[in-house]
Amino acid sequence: MSPGSAPARWATTPSELSSLEDLRGRRERLLADRTLTGAAFCRAHTDLVESWLVDLLGDEDGVALVAVGGLGRRELCPYSDVDLVLLHGGRKDVGAVAERLWYPIWDTGLSLDHSVRTPKEALAVAADDLKAALGLLDGRVIAGDSGLGQGLLEQALAQWRRRAKRTLPRLLEAVEERQQKAGEVAFLLEPDLKEGRGGLRDLHARRAAALAAPVVDADDSVLATPRDVLLAARVELHRRAGRAADRLLLQEQDSVASALRYGDGDADALMQAVSSAARTIAFVGDDAWRRVRSWLHGPGGRRAGGDHHLGVGLARRDGEVVLTGEATPATDRSLILRAAAVAATTGAPLSGPTLDRLAATATPPGDPWPDEARHALVALLGSGPSLLPVVESLDQYGLLVRVLPEWTAVRSRPQRNAYHRFTVDRHLCEAAVEASALTRQVSRPDLLLVGAFLHDLGKGYPGDHTVAGVALIANIGARMGFDEADVAVLVNLVRHHLLLPDTATRRDLSDAATIAAVAEAVGDVTTLELLAALTEADSKATGSTAWGPWKAELIHELVVRTSDALADDGQVVPDSAAAMAEARAPALARARASLAAGASVHVEATWPELVVAARDRAGLFSDVAGTLALHALSVLAADVWTSDDGVAVEWFRTEAAFGAEPDRAALEVDLSAAVDGRLPIEARLAERVRTYASRRAAVARRAAPRVLIDNDASARATLIEVRAPDGIAVLYRITRSLAALGLDVRHAKVATLGAEVVDTFYVVDTGGTKVGTGRRQEIQRAVLTALARS
Amino acid sequence: MKLVTAIVKPFKIDDVKAALTDLGVHGMTVSEVRGFGRQRGHTEVYRGAEYTVDFVPKVRVEVLADDGDAERIAAAITDAARTGKIGDGKVWVMPLDGVTRIRTGEMGHDAL
Repeated sequence: MSPGSAPARWATTPSELSSLEDLRGRRERLLADRTLTGAAFCRAHTDLVESWLVDLLGDEDGVALVAVGGLGRRELCPYSDVDLVLLHGGRKDVGAVAERLWYPIWDTGLSLDHSVRTPKEALAVAADDLKAALGLLDGRVIAGDSGLGQGLLEQALAQWRRRAKRTLPRLLEAVEERQQKAGEVAFLLEPDLKEGRGGLRDLHARRAAALAAPVVDADDSVLATPRDVLLAARVELHRRAGRAADRLLLQEQDSVASALRYGDGDADALMQAVSSAARTIAFVGDDAWRRVRSWLHGPGGRRAGGDHHLGVGLARRDGEVVLTGEATPATDRSLILRAAAVAATTGAPLSGPTLDRLAATATPPGDPWPDEARHALVALLGSGPSLLPVVESLDQYGLLVRVLPEWTAVRSRPQRNAYHRFTVDRHLCEAAVEASALTRQVSRPDLLLVGAFLHDLGKGYPGDHTVAGVALIANIGARMGFDEADVAVLVNLVRHHLLLPDTATRRDLSDAATIAAVAEAVGDVTTLELLAALTEADSKATGSTAWGPWKAELIHELVVRTSDALADDGQVVPDSAAAMAEARAPALARARASLAAGASVHVEATWPELVVAARDRAGLFSDVAGTLALHALSVLAADVWTSDDGVAVEWFRTEAAFGAEPDRAALEVDLSAAVDGRLPIEARLAERVRTYASRRAAVARRAAPRVLIDNDASARATLIEVRAPDGIAVLYRITRSLAALGLDVRHAKVATLGAEVVDTFYVVDTGGTKVGTGRRQEIQRAVLTALARS
Repeated sequence: MKLVTAIVKPFKIDDVKAALTDLGVHGMTVSEVRGFGRQRGHTEVYRGAEYTVDFVPKVRVEVLADDGDAERIAAAITDAARTGKIGDGKVWVMPLDGVTRIRTGEMGHDAL
């Protein structure tokens, strides 16, 4: 080294050394001061590092030190990166200034993210690089030429606003990708406080959006408390881990909780607070991004007057579900759930004002619930993954607990074990989502979905969660309006929701006693099927370790063996024939009288029930069902039988798609024409489907229809069970395909359960006997093809 | 030193664990595995449809042992896991070159 040259950059001068030691010592003291937590720690830490940097830069002309990132926001956590931009107006020797800064910073052990730029360079980088642009939005001039620094920050903001229409879609994409990767802070048991959905980064992204898009509220005071909760947890996490850790692992939760004085180091209380904070951040963020999307689309993206009617009091407008003028939230006990069901099945969110109005005025479903409320709940639960955002919006507005007060106990509730990934409430929603893919494996999809949604509700209550859950579901099931037998099945599902996995993995499946014990506990094949599907849904919703081919195979073997044992017991109990004949007698007598008087069809209507009777002929049921569909009547339940003297009596419970009762006279005219074979049902239905199909154009359904054929269930007829999603004229399509195969429906039980259809037909062939097993595939193909058209 | 490995029926794992604990075995590794032996899987009929089970779920147990203990451990597993029916599984013993406890660096017998 020649005398007079600059000191070699690794040589730290004595004064620098003392200042380094000083910073290290003061940071250590700050970290050791346990009274300093959260935002207060971050501010003190920011001030400390900042004042040290001011001294470090000293008097330099033509440069400014701009803090971006956490330092810029005064949110410097213990091991956060220190993000700095050294700004200069074209100084040739800026490299030397940079070296004078960066080396001492490295020497303190701070992790440094640095750049050296002119304002022009900084703006050019920000134009292309989202991260750089966001950094400058948080930027603060901390030392040097404040005019130079401030000028850049103002230009960066102006550039951000100017380029918003190009940049915001990229920001949104980046946000979604990050959230997808890191998971949800509110519902994961080991959340990523920074990158997760509802985490700290979401706050920064929302702020950036608010700076550019006037539709996003710049006032974020509602987010101040949630931010403090997450920041406090993150500071403590850094302290414990001794590094920049962002995932709050189970093993750290106790010590973080006690440092932050949650109860007596109650990790559950900490995690509940973290979850609530993240839910608020995610929800407010979602709302912001929805506004941004609509703003980006511009007025052209919104269709004026394009209301799509979605049942009484509900419509879709601008891609959102809204209440219409005819809605009566104060008295309509099913409105909350119908609104939610429509939102989930069409994939359109509930609008903010609609949620406000429901929150302010909507009445709870009462006790017992009206049928429509129960159907809507089942449709909501059966909607698949689109259930999640809808339930979240209900939750944020207090509507979920209004519908189901018991939910309060599991809301944001953590569970501390090695298998679960999610909080209890999210686990229950995930179980319903998984169950919606299994609805064709059971004959009662409604009980499966409700059972999955409520099976762990007992976890919010003291004592064994299964015992508590049994008591809860007995009450809730009855309140929802399920009949006694259905409530008993729901109770059984909750009581035994761990029976199959426990038995399959711990008992000898080849031992008859094992199978007998399970058969006795379960009771019948219907419940066994439900339990098998619930087990799969529950396990998949638990976490990746809880379900795999190993467990699936063991459980399947147990189910097969138990099912055989139950079938051997002759468990299939038909409806009591005598009792049914008695109940049907009056209608049959009236029908005979009116047909004898020369009428071709006999109609009795006591809305929403309807009886249609006529001389039986092939295809009669199908023609009647098609006529009801033409009059916008959905068939919720039907019971059809033929008397020995050939009178077909068809009983329907219907629901009018548009709320109002149909024109009865017109319906009777059409029914009469249909019975005589004079109504062009197919052509008129095709027209209806063209007009209305788009309204239903829903979210992709995950479970494909199934057709089960059984020749042993009845002595005289072949049983065909069809499990399918509901749609326009589904019953008509199925029965028409059966008629086309020359099959006569002697008896039918039709059930629409939420958005699911489970229809059972007892059919005979043209000879009046059971259908040969050789026609099995032909029938399945025909019905599935017909369903594909609805 | 030896490595004792056993494939047993899943529901027998608690019995195997108890038998090994009685012998003073402090640690074991258990994993869920699928496979078949002489029984070659089997065929089931469920709801009218036939399907074949190719691989049967089993549990694999692995225990590290001193040379003198391996036989007794294998025998204890055999006793505990036996039902007398097809598919009871197998036990085998292999020689080991060395064992190290990662936390302390102890080796050989001390690492067991």
